[in-house]
Amino acid sequence: MMFKKKMLVSVIAVWAVLCIAQAAPAAPPAGFDDNEIRIGQWGPQTGPAAPWGSVARGSKLLFDIVNEEGGINGRKIKYFIRDDMYNPAQTVGVVKELVERQGVFAFVGGVGAACGMAVKDYLAANKIPWVGPSAADQDFIQPLNPYLFAVYPLYRDEANVLAQYIVEKLNMKKVGMLYQNDAYGKDGLEGAKERLATYKMSLVAEIPVEPTEKDLASQILRLKNSGAEAVLMFVNPTAAVIALKTAANVGFKPQWISSNTLSDYPLMFKISGGLWEGVITGAFGEIPDSTHPLMVKYREAAKRLNPQERWGTFYSAGILFADPLVEALKKAGRNLSTEAVMKALNSIKDYQTIGPKINWTEKQHQGTDSVMIQKCGPNASYIQLQGWTTNDLATWKKK
Amino acid sequence: MPVGQLLVEGLAIGACYGLFATAVFWLAFVITMLFSILLGVLIEFLFLRPAKHPSILGMIVITLGAEMFLMGLASWKWGAEQKFFSLPLNPSVTYEPVKGMIINNWAIAVFAVTACIMLFLYIFFKYTKLGVAMRATQQNKHAAKIMGIRTERVFSFAWGFSSLIGAVAGMFFASRATLDPAFMMEPFLRAFAAAVLGGLMSIPGVIIGGALMGLIENFFGYYWPHWKPIIAFIVIILVLCLRPSGLFAKHYVKKV
Amino acid sequence: MDMKRDYYEDIQLFQSGVVLFWTVVLLLVLFTLPLVVPNYYVYLFNIIMVHIILAVGLNILVGSTGQISLGHAGFFAIGAYGTVLMMTLFQLPFILAILIAAFIAAFFGFILGLPALRLEGPYLAIVSLGFGLTIMHVIGGVDAFGGRMGIKVPPLDLGIKQLGISWILTTDFHKYYLILIMTIIMVVGARNILKTRVGRSFVAIRDSDIAAEVIGVNLTIYKTLAFAVSAFYAGIAGGLFGFVLGFFDPFTFNMILSIIFLVMVVVGGLGTILGGIMGATLITYLQYDLLKNIAEVPYFGALMVAVSKQWFTLVGLENFSSMAIGLIMIGIIIFEPLGMFGLWIRMKKYWMTWPF
Repeated sequence: MMFKKKMLVSVIAVWAVLCIAQAAPAAPPAGFDDNEIRIGQWGPQTGPAAPWGSVARGSKLLFDIVNEEGGINGRKIKYFIRDDMYNPAQTVGVVKELVERQGVFAFVGGVGAACGMAVKDYLAANKIPWVGPSAADQDFIQPLNPYLFAVYPLYRDEANVLAQYIVEKLNMKKVGMLYQNDAYGKDGLEGAKERLATYKMSLVAEIPVEPTEKDLASQILRLKNSGAEAVLMFVNPTAAVIALKTAANVGFKPQWISSNTLSDYPLMFKISGGLWEGVITGAFGEIPDSTHPLMVKYREAAKRLNPQERWGTFYSAGILFADPLVEALKKAGRNLSTEAVMKALNSIKDYQTIGPKINWTEKQHQGTDSVMIQKCGPNASYIQLQGWTTNDLATWKKK
Repeated sequence: MPVGQLLVEGLAIGACYGLFATAVFWLAFVITMLFSILLGVLIEFLFLRPAKHPSILGMIVITLGAEMFLMGLASWKWGAEQKFFSLPLNPSVTYEPVKGMIINNWAIAVFAVTACIMLFLYIFFKYTKLGVAMRATQQNKHAAKIMGIRTERVFSFAWGFSSLIGAVAGMFFASRATLDPAFMMEPFLRAFAAAVLGGLMSIPGVIIGGALMGLIENFFGYYWPHWKPIIAFIVIILVLCLRPSGLFAKHYVKKV
Repeated sequence: MDMKRDYYEDIQLFQSGVVLFWTVVLLLVLFTLPLVVPNYYVYLFNIIMVHIILAVGLNILVGSTGQISLGHAGFFAIGAYGTVLMMTLFQLPFILAILIAAFIAAFFGFILGLPALRLEGPYLAIVSLGFGLTIMHVIGGVDAFGGRMGIKVPPLDLGIKQLGISWILTTDFHKYYLILIMTIIMVVGARNILKTRVGRSFVAIRDSDIAAEVIGVNLTIYKTLAFAVSAFYAGIAGGLFGFVLGFFDPFTFNMILSIIFLVMVVVGGLGTILGGIMGATLITYLQYDLLKNIAEVPYFGALMVAVSKQWFTLVGLENFSSMAIGLIMIGIIIFEPLGMFGLWIRMKKYWMTWPF
């Protein structure tokens, strides 16, 4: 019996060694052929962040438009959306499935800093360009990741610009901050502090909020008692609505200022029961009812191709993130290769569609640091307060 | 068959939602309440009753399954985007009875409704036949059955009541926050923890547990906002170490 | 059908030649699997095996000892963070790091086991839930742990840096074998624990803790031991999970994960090794692979799209998967209270007694 067991163990061990010693697995399939280019995106269609799933569907609209117009240099775009439930473990799974089974040429968008971080190195190792992550993270661009092209302005830069606006234009001296306790909120916090430090000021209150928290009474009272005239919010839509409603309940009426994450005025106005009026937000795309010719075109196309979808900021952001990739694919010409597209992406200069101007070079993959500043007017209308503003303190620009 | 039935019910929620948006509030309110009772009874009837002698864990899994199913159905129907929900109360109407203490319509309504429900439950459990039957079933299902109580029916009623009260709480929460398919998950956990803190099966215990939970969270949350999300749980762990059945419930020692 | 004539027959690893034969076949299949299946499945297998380790460990606690834990994501997190921090801060070799991390998790399991001496049912559930939330929150609050931004996992180096030996596993394919070997060790270990005095004490505590105490089982030792063993398994699983993922943040280990772990055990079958394995496999497979991209499934996808357009919304179609998982959970408990293990036993019986 003992002898048998030993035999068994040794046979298994030999098998194991043989298997591990086996040559490395085959390379993933190519991301394009003569008729189509395959592009993928992960995005939370279900789960806690499902409202942001519209980014992935927005990109689909752009690709549908491109396909209607005959595709890119004779190739149609085949687009895959995968639901990752905002869970990095699932993001890795769906991205591997797309790369290794479907064969994907490039990724666009992709909601969630943590989800992006989980697949960033895998994509780079497989030489797959990733354009316009729908999240801003210092780690995406520093150190330089040659395959990652960021469009989204860093939260840090945005908070900087917003804080500058509060102090210089609104002349408010007491600024409080309500931030989500994760990368998004903390980057914003850093930015705001950095800007206020240049005026020898500091935040009168820094209050963290958990992403899932539903009761913000103590946080709001804290802000109220700090005497803040302006409150900078880097939170998610639900938390923002709770904050506003709670503040109204306790009679606290500061100037609310928030990041572009909350710049979907029709939605915010509706779910806050009108309290959103007067809130100032950053913005990094044209307003939804803009008369910008491209916006008109996309809006009409959305009505035709995807009538069920609400035409909101996140949906159009999906277009904005994917735009530069389409441009680069066009530039790369019929003789498509990853190198050609990378070259085209690296030489994108002052490219502007419905967002800020985007510049990428070999050494710099953060496309922009500009945000606009808008205000929610009556009936969720958009009031432009300040055009594209760059952040002169941006750390990533200094080397 | 059960699936088809549930689809119909899902659509009925849709109807309720539509009613909220358009029709008179109170009519919609009554229909929603009726619907929530129906849904609770239905879950008990379809999912829990067929399970023969489920363990506590089995029951937890069944209810979680039902929750995933209904939440999925709701998101499928209405999408995940947050919706606006409001009770016909103006939250901006505030009173200041004592200097520095501001109270608004919403909070008054919550206090009033909670008081009504608790009074109702107290009387119900103490003086009605059904209430006594429920307590008997909770303490010993088999003995209750032997005494002639139709425990299945009691369970149906229990589910109906609890969904009704849950729906009321959900409305209050939704009017303070936003409405989306998963919005009650976090409050639910806290509510469960509060009930455990006070002691399950003790109505004053549950009220005091809930109040303590809210107070601890908000007082600590005021001074140490970083620890707000967990402070209540830490307190609960400590309390339970001292009083294993919560603050107010009698601790039954199981006999062999 | 499984008649044991003496104790030594009961504790044998392979009950019969048939079992031995099929075990060898299964092992051969497992070891050759990544060579035949498409590459992207290997990641899924890795996740499944990590979950198997955890579910088997959780089953020792929930199924065999009868204690509820809604905080296993906390132990999972301790394992993942512990391993990575041991490797980056102290430059320990992987094997040592994961063992230390698992022992730290086991220590916390022991701590959580102390209130369990007095609590039961929902009370214990809430305490363990609070424990899981606290771990997640504390990790998120400490910047040395990467804070809320998450932490990047170093390369999986099986060698010992101090001796200059380096054997770095980079692909999923290579990690598969490491995880597979770990899984086999852990599963066999769990089986052996349950067949010894310790395991019998656990079962005695589950069936009646007072009766167990009367016949001489030390409740304090064995209850806390059950928590510690279970947490050790979760720690090992967490350490491996970190390397499967490559990057994680505290939110990865949220409460939903704890619930899913519990569901795996209950759906698989309480109190059996095979149950934990089957539950983890089924639930992970459902969540990660099947039921994704409904719209792209031939025929059925088109039907669902049409249904969505007619009665629901197209954007919510992905929720179909959570609905289906919910129904499967309900169905298994209703029709087979022993979980998938019960189904397996029935199939086996049917097969062995056929044609009667």
